[in-house]
Amino acid sequence: MTTRPEPLRGGGRADLGALVFRHWSTVMAGGVFVALVGFGAATIDGFWSLLNLRSNLVFASFLGIATIGQTLCALIGGLDLSIPFVLGGANVGLVKLMNLGAAPGAGIVIVLALAAAIGAFNGALSHRLRGQSLVVTLGVGNAVLGLVQILVSSGGVSGISGGTIEGKIPRWIEALSSMRSAIGVAPAVLLWAALIVLTIVLLRRTWFGRSLYALGGNQTAAERVLISSGWCWTLVFAASGVAAALTGILLLGYTGSGYAGVGDPYLFTTIAAVLIGGTSLVGGRGGYGLSVLGVLILTVLQTILSGYNLSQAAQEAILGSLIIPTVALYARSPHPRTQI
Amino acid sequence: MRVPAGQLSLVTPAALCAVLLVVSAWHGPHLFTSDGLAGAVIGAAPLVLATLAITPIALAGPAGVDLSIGPLMTFINIAIVLGLPKLGVSGPIAVFAFAIVLGVAVEAAMGGLIALLRVSTVVVTLAVYLVLDGLNTVILPEPGGSAPAWLANWGSASSILSPILYVPLAAFALWTLLSRTTFLRNIRLMGANDRTAFVSGIPLIPTRIGAHVIAGCFAGVASVMFTGLIGSADPTAGASYTLSAVTALVIGGASLAGGRAKGLGSVLGAIDIWLVSYVLSTFNFGLNAGYWVQFATGAVLVAALLAGGALAGLPGSRGWRGRQAAGAGR
Repeated sequence: MTTRPEPLRGGGRADLGALVFRHWSTVMAGGVFVALVGFGAATIDGFWSLLNLRSNLVFASFLGIATIGQTLCALIGGLDLSIPFVLGGANVGLVKLMNLGAAPGAGIVIVLALAAAIGAFNGALSHRLRGQSLVVTLGVGNAVLGLVQILVSSGGVSGISGGTIEGKIPRWIEALSSMRSAIGVAPAVLLWAALIVLTIVLLRRTWFGRSLYALGGNQTAAERVLISSGWCWTLVFAASGVAAALTGILLLGYTGSGYAGVGDPYLFTTIAAVLIGGTSLVGGRGGYGLSVLGVLILTVLQTILSGYNLSQAAQEAILGSLIIPTVALYARSPHPRTQI
Repeated sequence: MRVPAGQLSLVTPAALCAVLLVVSAWHGPHLFTSDGLAGAVIGAAPLVLATLAITPIALAGPAGVDLSIGPLMTFINIAIVLGLPKLGVSGPIAVFAFAIVLGVAVEAAMGGLIALLRVSTVVVTLAVYLVLDGLNTVILPEPGGSAPAWLANWGSASSILSPILYVPLAAFALWTLLSRTTFLRNIRLMGANDRTAFVSGIPLIPTRIGAHVIAGCFAGVASVMFTGLIGSADPTAGASYTLSAVTALVIGGASLAGGRAKGLGSVLGAIDIWLVSYVLSTFNFGLNAGYWVQFATGAVLVAALLAGGALAGLPGSRGWRGRQAAGAGR
């Protein structure tokens, strides 16, 4: 993932320095990840235990899938704050649909389609309002989750209380996120791996993916070469909605009951994963590979902090204090004097 | 009716306010009693001040959303209730001064980071949101303590002419004075176009930090009002002010692209948000009340964005489409 322009060279020989320079964000994020793993392995008992690795991978795949959408949005200069709400809505909505008698497969299709529609609305409106995606998604997200909870709690069949809804979850949905599967890792991890490949190929090798970088770099220039910015925004946010809903469904299998607030941690951790990986929120620079590194860094960091018996709140504070130095290292905006 | 072009952004919040007042008069006339008005003033005061606090940051743009306002208010709330008694002072002047100094210190630090490191406002305020929200729970795991007696009395006043009415009024008067200064005009120019501001000789770094200092003053006062409202310290209750204040700001007609925000719009927007929750509370939603408030707040925000987008498209207004057309013709 190119984050700095490749220096012009006369000969064809690329030396190590140029390679490091070209992949600066990857080198940085990779270095931080290796350092954290080393630190964790050295100071925490059971860090390398199979159980720990397996559960870490499952958590990482939840965060990783939710982060796909946030990364795509960041690449075109947007931000999707509706992720936790769509995630929570999908989580309780699916239980309600199944309680009402829908087949699990049909329920999942309905939930994913609704999430895509919500995301498309987010994208289209954000584009129309010139990139005010932050407030648009915040508003849409709250409206959606509020509405889902109102709908879920009405209508007789076991309702919602305190944001929680009980229901019969099919065995195979639970198996998706179960660590005790025949293949050694949870199927959710394999799903994430497939999505990683798919997203990276989409971003690097397809016309659509390259259009997103062009849009994030300079929207006016991208429109001049006939890239439809409206379509890109709509599709990207729709994809983000689908990814969030998918995470909500996987989390339903993991916890075994619906909870509307299940997405709350994903509001800031998805953004943190994008930023720590090295994708700029301004757009045009970065990629999903970097966000995967960001997700892994966050997961290992959480393991280490829990290993030191730090509370959830203290972990949140430490995570927050890491964001500014990281962004200051490789995602600063240029001084206005250079842009005149 | 002709609306002057400069006041166009006030149409949405004012119309919404009128509609909500009519609905309140029909469904919850208790609002218009002395008791109801006193409750309205104390209920709305923290949000009005919080929205005023994030207004100069929106003005300074680009994408000037202060996400940290909720946890910041909580942080100062905890400091007032737990920290000040240890210093042995609890008088009104000491409390206000302490809250304002704390608010200015945190906001100025954020402004400094944004201006010097050239990292976007969203990133810095998001990071500070996480740090403060985490710290609040670490310092005070459970709600507790009690506000200074005079402040608790303000919060439980049953007359409209309580001191708590004068604080938002004084704050709004201060904002009106400030908005006529050259300094605020500089902030506005920087938000609208930082390159133009730079070549006009406006010092960008002090101007941006200054916008945050103004924000810090209002944030401090907002925290005092918040402490009066809840009468104690609560590590989590304040975080929701981020959503409410940003919603109020946008309903009030501020453009998050920067350069356009009005104090009066922000105040109206905040009153609108409070009225929405008041009107909803007059319906008998029982356990679902919280969901309705969440749905209505989100829906009103989207509706305000749609209305703002439609108004910005009117001829004579300075919406982006107008600017776009002007740019294309050049």
